[in-house]
Amino acid sequence: MNDTDIARALGTTDPSVNTDDALVRFRARVQSDGIAEVPPVARRRISSRWLQGLAAAAGVVIVASALTLSGVAGSILQIFEPKSVVGVPVSQSDLNYLSQACSGLNLEECMGAYGTFVWTTPPQPKEFQTRGQASADAGFAVQTPTSLPSSVTGNPRYGVINRSSATFTFSADSTRQAAARQNRTAPPLPADIDGSKLFITGGPAAVQIWGAPAGATGATGAYPDVPTLIVGQAKAPTISSDGVTVEELRSYLLSQPGISPQLAAAIRAIGDPSSTLPVPVPAELAISHPVTVQGVQGLYIGDNTGIASAVIWQKDGMMFEVIGSFTESQALSIANSMR
Amino acid sequence: MTLPAREGAGVPGGAGHVADSLSPAFESLFRTEYARVVGIAHRVLADQAEAEDVAQDVFVSFYRSHPANVPYAPAWLHAAAAHAALNALRGRDRRSRREAAQALPLDAAAVTDDPAEVVAASETRDEVRAVLARLPERSAAMLALRYAGLSYAEIAAALDIRASSVGTLLRRAEDAFRRELQ
Repeated sequence: MNDTDIARALGTTDPSVNTDDALVRFRARVQSDGIAEVPPVARRRISSRWLQGLAAAAGVVIVASALTLSGVAGSILQIFEPKSVVGVPVSQSDLNYLSQACSGLNLEECMGAYGTFVWTTPPQPKEFQTRGQASADAGFAVQTPTSLPSSVTGNPRYGVINRSSATFTFSADSTRQAAARQNRTAPPLPADIDGSKLFITGGPAAVQIWGAPAGATGATGAYPDVPTLIVGQAKAPTISSDGVTVEELRSYLLSQPGISPQLAAAIRAIGDPSSTLPVPVPAELAISHPVTVQGVQGLYIGDNTGIASAVIWQKDGMMFEVIGSFTESQALSIANSMR
Repeated sequence: MTLPAREGAGVPGGAGHVADSLSPAFESLFRTEYARVVGIAHRVLADQAEAEDVAQDVFVSFYRSHPANVPYAPAWLHAAAAHAALNALRGRDRRSRREAAQALPLDAAAVTDDPAEVVAASETRDEVRAVLARLPERSAAMLALRYAGLSYAEIAAALDIRASSVGTLLRRAEDAFRRELQ
């Protein structure tokens, strides 16, 4: 007996059902029997402040990881290469200040408030159907969870962002003009920072999305438009400079008038800013704490209400992140099952 | 995944409120999944009316114990359909044995002009159902889900197993099914 025979034995045709009639019958039954429905869970819209914050946190890792340095001169000083990640609580006032500075602007325009941002090799995301194709394009073995909660169904979509590169040149004039447009006065850019360049490196990055937007293969959830799980993996980003140091940049950042004392303290508390990736965490909406993932220290970020959580870690020169609507133990279980 | 116990009708539902109408989320879930749930039960029972009864029970169980918009809703319904149908099948077998002991004639529901075909089809169908009832629960559920058209990923979600294990477990279930049927 082959598979076809088994299929024939179990019946090869689906029965024809009348769903409208079945729904009438169901409604009558729960009414007559007095059976109450468990109310649907109140879902936050994707535009909620927490998810924006989470997206920003993810963006820091993915965008930074997608930037790649090319053609670096021999005199370049590497000033940043993350070996670990740390959560930096960002208050609403910090977010207000940052959103005022970059309101409605894209990355280049926002960075343009402090100088000139130029993509030398821009990121170009591509989508793939299989992990093998994604691994081949990324140039590394794309890891995937080997254990998923039952809430995650269907097949993931795969995206790869190529190795890209960008150069940023600090400009005292740009800083003054941007501040003037916002009717404020920025601290003067120190002379040794003015004109200096940052070369940003990282990537490629691979992203796997389950329960993804329309057209996703195998997504059968009641809400297939909301991703149930996002897994990101990227070559750790590096930032190099032709002179300016991390300490000088940190001092300048802390002198900005809109930075809250809490954020300033958190930034000062980063032991080694040249090897620690700060991940902004909305202070009023989320919690974060260090966790052990895959034998290394990572960062857990959780929504105060338990709706969403993320785990971010760095291992063997790669950044990883797991984001979704999970409990902390579920998120850690997914993260630890990555192979 | 915690599987639902099969529940009968007529049990008032807890402390919740009995609404005049279903929530849009539940109605959408029902419309999306009803045919699939009936299809799974039908693979086990080979009887549409009975499969639709099982589907109604499954949706009632879900309705009284889970919010309609949870992400795991489809997987829960698929698993519940398979297990509830297998429970119904075993209950039917027990009834059949009692009826046979009382020398009541079996009801041949199939309609054909050839009486020999009626008997053969009925015997095959009954034999297949008897095999399903004897198989281990997970193997029988896996066959019902797979041959109702679920993907490996959907089976993994419904039975709370790793997607990479579905192929192996399915082959074992098919082998067991063949051995039992021979």
